[in-house]
Order: sequence, then C-alpha cells, then structure tokens
Amino acid sequence: MKNLTLLLTMLVLAFNTNAQTNIFEPSKTQFMIRGYGHTGFNYQNSEGDNESSFVGSAFSPIFLFKHSDRLMFEAELEFELEHNQLEVGLEYADVMYVLNKHMTVRAGKFLLPFGTFMERLHPSWINRFSTKPLGFGHGGITPASGIGVELRGAFDIGKSKLNYSVYGVNGPRLKDGTGGEPEEAGMLQFQNFEDNNLSKAIGGRLGILPFADSSTELGFSAYSSGKLGEKDSEYEDVGAFLYAIDFSFVKQIPELSGFIDIKAQYSKSNVENAHYVEIHDEDGGDGDGGDEGGHKIGEGEGVEYTFDNQSDAFYAQLSYRPTMATNNFLKNLEFVGRYSNFNTPEGSLWEEKSTQYAFGINYWLSWRSVVKLSFQTTDREGGHDGGFSKTEAISLHWAIGF
Amino acid sequence: MKKITKIFMRLIMMAGIIVTVVACSSSKEIYTDITESKEVKFERSGAQLWGETCSRCHLVPSPAAYNDTDWSTIELHMRIRANISESDSNKIFEFLKSAN
Ligand code: HEC
Repeated sequence: MKNLTLLLTMLVLAFNTNAQTNIFEPSKTQFMIRGYGHTGFNYQNSEGDNESSFVGSAFSPIFLFKHSDRLMFEAELEFELEHNQLEVGLEYADVMYVLNKHMTVRAGKFLLPFGTFMERLHPSWINRFSTKPLGFGHGGITPASGIGVELRGAFDIGKSKLNYSVYGVNGPRLKDGTGGEPEEAGMLQFQNFEDNNLSKAIGGRLGILPFADSSTELGFSAYSSGKLGEKDSEYEDVGAFLYAIDFSFVKQIPELSGFIDIKAQYSKSNVENAHYVEIHDEDGGDGDGGDEGGHKIGEGEGVEYTFDNQSDAFYAQLSYRPTMATNNFLKNLEFVGRYSNFNTPEGSLWEEKSTQYAFGINYWLSWRSVVKLSFQTTDREGGHDGGFSKTEAISLHWAIGF
Repeated sequence: MKKITKIFMRLIMMAGIIVTVVACSSSKEIYTDITESKEVKFERSGAQLWGETCSRCHLVPSPAAYNDTDWSTIELHMRIRANISESDSNKIFEFLKSAN
C-alpha cells in the first residue's frame, strides 16, 4: 500500500514538472492594459472676461484582450472631472473577428470612421492640440461612435492601397425641442444607448492611398438615417444624410530636414426640414407657471418655425517636425497650425458661424508623450448667447499614452 | 436633396456588396499566387513599411517599445483599427519582432 502511494505521488510529481515546462510558452490569450491621460493649464480671455484654470486629469484606460489570431476585444473607459464631479464614459467596447484577409467584422460600441478625426486622431497623445477642431465633440455635427456592426478591411491594388468600412448602427436622435431643450431643436444627438425607432443608420468610409509610400490618403465617408424622431411622433420620418471628405499627408522630406504632417476634414450634415415650436414667455419669462391676471403665463405661447437644417465643419492642420536636425532638443520639437470653421443652420436657435486659428509648439518626450503649448483664437457669431464674441486662449498641456 | 441621398446610398451599398464579394472570393488566390519575380518589383521591406505606415496617425514606436507578445496583440489591434492590409501588417510586425 505504501509503495502504491509513493508511486502515485511520484507520478503526480512527474506530471507536475511536465506541466511546468510549458509555463514559459506564450499564452494564446493575451491581455494588455493601455491607455492615456492628460492634464494642463488653460488661460482664456473672452471679450474682457478672463478665466484661468488647471484642467484635465483625464484618464482613459484601454483594455485589449487578444483571444486568438482572429478574435479580439477592445474597450476604453473615460474618466474625467467635470463640474466638480467624476464623469465616467464608455468610449468603446467591441469584439472584432477577422473573417479573412480582407474583411473583419466588429460588433458593439465602436468609434465610427466618419472622416478620420474621431476614429484616429482625437486621443490626447495623438492630437497635436489640446482642443478638438470646431464641429467635433459637444455640440458638434459629426458622429463619434455608434452601437451596431461593421465590416472593414484593406486591399493592396498594385502600388496603391484601399481600405473600406461599412456599418449599421442605432441612428442618432433628433432633438425636437421638447424635453427642456427648446434651443436645441433640430440638432442631432449621436450618443444613443438604445434606438428610439426601428430605422437604423448606415454608413461607411472608403480610403484610398494612391502612392506606394502610403504618404497620402483620401477618404470619403457617408452616414444616413431614414428616421430620426421618436416612434409615432410627428418627427419620426425626418431623415438625415451626412458626408465627410478627409485628407492626410505624412512624409519625411529630406529637403526640409523633417516630417510634414497634413490632416484635413470637411464634414457636412443635412437634416430634413421640420417644424419646431418656440415658446415665448409672455411675462418676460418668470417661469413660475402661476396664473397671474387671468391668462396663461409661464406655459407661454408656441410659435412654429422652421429652417434649412444644414451644417458644415472644416479643419486643416499642418505640422512640421525637424526630425533630421542635429540638435537633440530641436529634433523633438514640432510646430503646428490649425484652421477650422463651423456653420450651423441660419434661423435655428443654435445658429452659429465660427472660425478658429490655432498655433502650437509641441515637445515630444517620447513617441507617445507630448507637452503642448498652444494659442488659439476663435471668432463666433451666434451660438447659445447670440451676438459676436472673440475668445483667445493659451494652454499648456501634457499628454501621455502608456 | 432626397434624390441625391438615395443615389448616394445606393452607390455605397453597391460598393459594399462588391467589396464583400471580392473579399470573400479572392481571399485565397490573389496573394499566394504572386510569383517571386513579380513581387520583388513592388516589394517594400518590413522596416520601410514600418516607417511609412506607422507614422500616418501617430509617431512611430520603436521596435524596442514592446516585447514579442505585446507586439502580437498590437499587431491585431492596429491591423483592424488602422485598416492595414494583412500582407503589410505581417511584414511590419515580423520586422518589429525581429528588431526588438
Ligand atoms: C490609421 C491610423 C493608425 C495607423 C496607420 C497606425 N496606428 Fe497605431 N494607433 C492608432 C490609434 C487611433 C491608436 C489608439 C487606439 C485607442 O486609443 O483607441 C493607436 C495605438 C497604437 C499603440 C498603442 C497600443 C494599442 O494597440 O492601442 C501602438 C503600440 C500602435 N498604435 C502601434 C502602431 C504601429 C506599429 C503601426 C504600424 C503598423 C500603427 N500603430 C499604425 C492609429 C493608427
């Protein structure tokens, strides 16, 4: 009996050591935590009104989970301090599966390839400025992410390259002015967790890199949704069609001793016209809803109005890094300029015409850590408060990817 | 405006269908059949493709930035996110893994 126990123990040990020899083989399942963060200081002067503040401390962890050579999961969380509160967002969370050489399917919440800025260039360690160009982000006209499915892939065609993406997502919602935001009637709200009707938005992007050195890319994107409004509401059938054209040129040019990087995107939004209701408070808007003097006050009287619901946004950015300079400090410097403009529909309550110039000097500490010093001036006509305003801002930001 | 939208969407859908068909039907043949001599003409080395491709969106990470295991995770992530063709991606990451 004793002998048998001994034999068994030896066998178990033998198997154990066998198992241990496998330990150093790379696992097929790979997990990476990455992400980025930024922090900085902003100083702003708007029509004599000065503000300054340390800002940011934004932190975006990214989880990459590679299950096999074809299957992967990616997710990004976004932690940000806003209005004295910690805001948490789910930037994306999607599964990706490589179907074949030229096609991958993605499903979940993913960044939309509508143009290139939101999908490829907005992370703070990639973006050359601490701000987004006009027309992107809050109050912007371009969709950033969507919940749905996507097919994407790339081909080599001789010396040229082609990449494509087609997707179907829960479409945007039309803000119809009800629900406490009458001044935003006609805007599209892209952040949707659930669809408000049966119609989905479909879209895609086609990117062409005509030259063998991949220096130049031209992209065409479209995004269309047949129904934007709440099901069974009078806005249900209002549709929208958006398109974007993007351009990228990145090349090391020996004559200039460095890298030239040009990025540009034009985005256009067409929403079908609809009638919205503007509420005028009759007593100057005390808003107490009380019945003073025999007629309804506070509820106000609705006035119907409509407008041609078209918006567009454009930006172009040029940067130069003297990477071939002999001086080490100079090598890591980058000089960058950006022009952007943004036009929202005339006659809407969110009408605005804005133009912005931004200039910056960046210092690259590594390939994914950069200190950005920028100056930005924005002329804005209209907007929430109406009238004309000029805002100048200086910022010093530090972004790091890890 | 509505008409243009419709035509545009139809074109996109058609392009989508064509791409799907081509992608599914050509996945086996196109690249494997190319003969050595033909390939040499356009062939760009992994190192060259790394410099050109990986600088398009962000600065280029050096091969030493990650170990082989991490590179292979990044390989799949970038191939999909940056829509890089499989053949380019293979060459680039082979180079990165050999030079780290
Ligand atoms: C089309 C744009 C684009 C190209 C081309 C590109 N990248 Fe990226 N890369 C990105 C974006 C965008 C991110 C950030 C992902 C995120 O934050 O969601 C990123 C992130 C990374 C990261 C951080 C880890 C990760 O996977 O997120 C590494 C490493 C990286 N890229 C390496 C490369 C290499 C190597 C190449 C060349 C093969 C390359 N990239 C080409 C856009 C690109």
